[in-house]
Amino acid sequence: MHKEPSKVHTISIFTTALDQLRSSVLKMSSLAQLNLKNSIKGLLERDDDWCNNSIADDEEIDLLEMQIDHEGIEVMSRFQPVASDLREVISSIKIGANIERVADQAVNIARRARKLNEHPQLPELHLLDRPIRLALTMFDDAVRSFAERNATLAVELKSRDKELDQLNRELTDVLINRMQDDSANLPSYLNLIFISRCLERIGDHACNIAEDIVFAVSAQDIRHPSKQQ
Amino acid sequence: MTTEASQHPLELTNDFAPGESNFIKVDNFKFFYGKKEALHGINLEIPSRKVTAFIGPSGCGKSTLLRNFNRMNELIPGVHHEGDITIHGTSIYDPSVEIIALRRRIGMVFQKSNPFPMSIFENIVYPLRIAGQNTRSVLEETVERCLRSAALWDEVKDRLHDSALGLSGGQMQRLCIARAVASRPEILLMDEPCSALDPIATAKVEELIIELKKDFTIVIVTHNMQQASRVSELTAFFYLGNLVEFDNTRKIFTNPSMKQTEEYITGRFG
Ligand SMILES: Nc1ncnc2c1ncn2[C@@H]1O[C@H](COP(=O)(O)OP(=O)(O)OP(=O)(O)O)[C@@H](O)[C@H]1O
Ligand SMILES: [Mg+2]
Repeated sequence: MHKEPSKVHTISIFTTALDQLRSSVLKMSSLAQLNLKNSIKGLLERDDDWCNNSIADDEEIDLLEMQIDHEGIEVMSRFQPVASDLREVISSIKIGANIERVADQAVNIARRARKLNEHPQLPELHLLDRPIRLALTMFDDAVRSFAERNATLAVELKSRDKELDQLNRELTDVLINRMQDDSANLPSYLNLIFISRCLERIGDHACNIAEDIVFAVSAQDIRHPSKQQ
Repeated sequence: MTTEASQHPLELTNDFAPGESNFIKVDNFKFFYGKKEALHGINLEIPSRKVTAFIGPSGCGKSTLLRNFNRMNELIPGVHHEGDITIHGTSIYDPSVEIIALRRRIGMVFQKSNPFPMSIFENIVYPLRIAGQNTRSVLEETVERCLRSAALWDEVKDRLHDSALGLSGGQMQRLCIARAVASRPEILLMDEPCSALDPIATAKVEELIIELKKDFTIVIVTHNMQQASRVSELTAFFYLGNLVEFDNTRKIFTNPSMKQTEEYITGRFG
């Protein structure tokens, strides 16, 4: 697909600075993966401790996002990257912003889970199983595409996003119906609807990350295909 | 600065397809210094009224090709060429082409500014005087026009009759550009015109280049990648006497097609 430049830069500190930026993105992604898993654990096991962990650790992710911006700007001002290097820096900064928003969704899920945990468990909780699995694997695969510079895996993510959107719509309809029959549990149904919406957003961010990876690796813009000639 | 081009820098990023309204056509051109083949069959079409940048590592043949456009390389003993170079469809080697006339159509600016040891005024009118033009009003009009187009008028208008050698390096370089445009050439060749200049003088020359392309076809050799991306619409990358890639400057600097180009512009060479 792409001719990855094989050699390192003649100025070795340029290579070092790009490697540093890349490892910051990788570090941020694995933290976000962990937070997301903690939130889900807190939700499914009805354990506030996991939720609290995820909320507390979000601060470090925010700091890492700023660090990535800083490192990206530093590389641009010191080395004026072009071609694949330029694309790598730009997409790293954009990916950092999307990971931060995935982590925010993990916090949202954790907060809603704590509210759900205050009440008896609704049988409908299991309806979230599929969207949870889909959102988690989509984000994991986005991170893996970045780590492996795998544009093929990234492109493939986009189709799974449609499935997640559809699941969210169906689930919302079911829960709204249930809400009407069982108004005593209305707040909990609303929380489930909200969590489903968070999962759907995570899928969107995974797709954004995938688009940035495709751009970095192959210089193709796969966003909004209908708007491009 | 007051030029229109400077207010519309985005103009530079317009897509431009190579080959469109081509002007200088290089056709399977080989060049030899004695037995040494310095250019190995170059094919290239340079469009009119655009800035084309030549980039590539030292010794790849950028200056050699540039200096063939006005047949300056023929002054070196033992050289010969194969293939052809045409301008507006006419071969520059056609027996009907007069070398003096050819050089008048093609101005050249060198790395080291080379003002003549005479006044600023006389430097600019030199090509006109050579051509027999001595009418005072014509000379004065030319001096003002050329100095203005080289963005130098305001700085030197009160000392036109002082020696050109008293100018700063950046001013001398712009004076040489003014002199190069005095004979109203169609093509302006520049070989590393900013390599001895500070950033401010460089910026002034670059702005001048962008302004001049309205009237001239400009080919610039530069080792400064940022300069190539700032001033040119098209970029040709040469390596070891071959043209490796020729494309839109924006394409070259965001997503070049050839691995060698990518390695060179990202600083992964050698
Ligand atoms: N007068 C000459 N006699 C013999 N060989 C020459 C002469 N001028 C240039 N060459 C050779 O031709 C090749 C191309 O040289 P040229 O000056 O065109 O390179 P260039 O790309 O302009 O390099 P630079 O970036 O260093 O100016 C080189 O191998 C050089 O040694
Ligand atoms: Mg040269």
